[in-house]
Amino acid sequence: MAYVATRGGARAIEQAERLYREELGTIDAGRVQGLRDALPWLIDRVMGEASLYDADLAALALAQSGGDLYEAVLLLRAWRTTQPRLAIAAPVLQEDLFTHRRISAAFKDIPGGQILGPTLDYAHRLLATDVLGGADFVPVPVEPAPCAAPSQQPSLAAWQKTMGLVADPPRVDVAGDDIPDVTRQPLLFPAARAHSLQSLARADTGGVLALGYAAMRGYGNAHPTVNELRLAEAEVMVRHPSGVSFSAGRVKVSQAEVTSKGKSGQLELGFCATFGWNEVKVIAGATLDLNAPGAEKGSAVEEEFVLYHTEPVESSGFCIHFKLPHYVTFQSALDAMRGAAVTELAKDEVTV
Amino acid sequence: MSPPYSTLANLTRPWAAFSYGFLDPSAKREMRRKMIKAIAVPGCQMPYASREVPIARGWGTGGLQVTLTLIKPASVVKVIDQGADDSVNAASIRRFLARVSGAAETWDTLAATIVQSRHRIPEERLRDDQVLVLQVPNPEPLRPVQPNMSIARQMHADADYGRLWLVLYEQMVRSGRIMQGAAYPALVNGRHVMTPSPIPRWDVPKLNMARHLTLLSAGREKRLYAVPPFTKVEPLVFSDVPYKVEDHASLTCYRSGLRGVFMNEIPQAAGGSLHEASDSHLGIKAIRRAEGEAVEIGPLWYRDGEFRG
Amino acid sequence: MADPVATPDDLRDNAAFEALMWAMARPGTLHDLPEGLTDLVLALVDRECRVLVDDPALAQVVAATGAALVAAPAADHAFLTRVDSAMAVLAALPAGSPLYADQGATLVLPALLGQGQRLRLTGPGIEGAIETAVGGLPDGFIALRAARCRYPEGVEMVFVDGSRIMALPRSTTVEGM
Repeated sequence: MAYVATRGGARAIEQAERLYREELGTIDAGRVQGLRDALPWLIDRVMGEASLYDADLAALALAQSGGDLYEAVLLLRAWRTTQPRLAIAAPVLQEDLFTHRRISAAFKDIPGGQILGPTLDYAHRLLATDVLGGADFVPVPVEPAPCAAPSQQPSLAAWQKTMGLVADPPRVDVAGDDIPDVTRQPLLFPAARAHSLQSLARADTGGVLALGYAAMRGYGNAHPTVNELRLAEAEVMVRHPSGVSFSAGRVKVSQAEVTSKGKSGQLELGFCATFGWNEVKVIAGATLDLNAPGAEKGSAVEEEFVLYHTEPVESSGFCIHFKLPHYVTFQSALDAMRGAAVTELAKDEVTV
Repeated sequence: MSPPYSTLANLTRPWAAFSYGFLDPSAKREMRRKMIKAIAVPGCQMPYASREVPIARGWGTGGLQVTLTLIKPASVVKVIDQGADDSVNAASIRRFLARVSGAAETWDTLAATIVQSRHRIPEERLRDDQVLVLQVPNPEPLRPVQPNMSIARQMHADADYGRLWLVLYEQMVRSGRIMQGAAYPALVNGRHVMTPSPIPRWDVPKLNMARHLTLLSAGREKRLYAVPPFTKVEPLVFSDVPYKVEDHASLTCYRSGLRGVFMNEIPQAAGGSLHEASDSHLGIKAIRRAEGEAVEIGPLWYRDGEFRG
Repeated sequence: MADPVATPDDLRDNAAFEALMWAMARPGTLHDLPEGLTDLVLALVDRECRVLVDDPALAQVVAATGAALVAAPAADHAFLTRVDSAMAVLAALPAGSPLYADQGATLVLPALLGQGQRLRLTGPGIEGAIETAVGGLPDGFIALRAARCRYPEGVEMVFVDGSRIMALPRSTTVEGM
């Protein structure tokens, strides 16, 4: 065959993949477990964006992608596609969460108390370079408090409601099993409340931060105060077809509620929650949720703009697709350009 | 008979890494439901959930989900990108399809039952038993005049295409011709304007009153639409300015000697360009025939640069 | 990873859909299901669907897919085994809207194909016009269909005669002869 140059495709892609995998070396169970144990915050971020809660699979995806987060999330989302739906979990209530950390910036103290929990917020960000010289960086043991904080905490918004400071958000009564699911239905606008919150939960952390930060800097119409931020564990309760409810396990969750004074004279709330512990994402996401109502079409805080442009798999995939050949479309555009040039020339001849 | 309620046993199944055709049965059922509606309202974008598949979004995931739904062990699939079967992404998609379905692979348009393509329609006429699956990056012809999807949807509902016409008119006034390159918008069944995906203008007439079924699918944007056989697909043009395909009729493929097909331009170091047939397997067949092999070449859509349908 | 193998269910669903897809793409032509009506149920609906059925045995099949059993105004699919309710069902099924054409329902019902009322069909999928015959439908059914199919709104019809089907998408214009 004379079309030799076009026949290298299959071989080329195979060798390119081998080159990539060779750099990563052999992936064994030990590497996966090591990643899972060493990088819990990264694992959480990946599980949140993948909307698949399984730390082992997330660690495997990170191992396979060498830590490329977009690749890791795509691996997990694609795997998720193949899995049957066995049951729909019961809704999780805020006051039932096993709360590790819960803070409010709105009040000095709140019912249930401010619980710092695990955080680097007040740590000095100093690189422990001694480790590189062979000295271990050993965590100093935690001294238990005289009395343990209660594992369940009331919601601050509930107190605000009793004080008439905040209105109940409009409530849609829908059975747990019928809550719209954005992984099974297309996202349309105005979006179902469930679709918006699910999309934010799956959104790209960096993307949510970029748009949320824009809103915080003044491209939104509301300035957020963190009403309540929680890192917690949620019990996932499912009902067996025979009718018995049982716990399928616990998942780490984060949630943020931000507030600002609304036009109605009451406080307005913005909310975001996600799988895993990821404070930046839920604070930025809640800020976007707070800003969405009434936002101008096409503005950086409008729901459609936010949700379409923070989808990690879609945005990263489209970005890298520009690497694909586009020579047919380019040829078509060139033809139009050349045609136009000829027409211009013809016009000039007429005027001259 | 199954019990009236679902049990864990009938909801689940023996563990397998993934289903036949990769997509799980529920994802396929959704695709089927949306494909039926897409065929019933030609050119109208039907939203669908769009599952993640093992290739990146923007790389043909929409086309892939359609093909994965249609494919069966007896299928014969051809996958092209820019007209070439051996383009790297086409090779990758074809390999995946064959692997998860057991279907046969082909480069020959005549042998294929399903042709999945990015940016081209083969030059050999498709038959009434063939399905063309076009990968679509942006399903919304109104995007240049209205980036907001919900407003664009309302414009389709109202058949409000005035702003699109205005853009084409302005191009004519400014440049003396319509400057739209690929993805030329077309009116389907006299009602919905669609983008035919970024195929060149050369390929749009191949959709009009065709014998084959075309399914167009945008995985990232989650929209699916169709052009059934014998459906009017009319590029938006003004009555006094005829539709103009790329001026390739007089070019000759330097490899195969083919004339009157869509060409790739190959710039030459010494200046100027050579041209090669964009439909690479048609080029291969022409070369093999010239070398004396008995190779079947199907009837072409174009003869001497003229579309003859 | 082992390459997946098609199960009998996979093959049946695939074949049923292929028949339905070509029936929709070429209105008025006949296509074969693997067995019959149930194939269409299994290929199309699951827990994301709201389905109307007129038969207890079929209702069990539909319920086992996880689909909700509902009345006509809420249904996205209706599977009828008799035509006695066909007029009322067709009158009440959602026909979608110009904004959401996809929300028009699909109505599957029994008919005698190739006999009875002669019809002339034109529209997408049809080269020129096609003549066909459909029997066993209630009086006024075709007229009611026209009233419900105000394009792009409308309801898709699938006529089932044993294992053979014929479809009328909303885009088809039907004239009595």
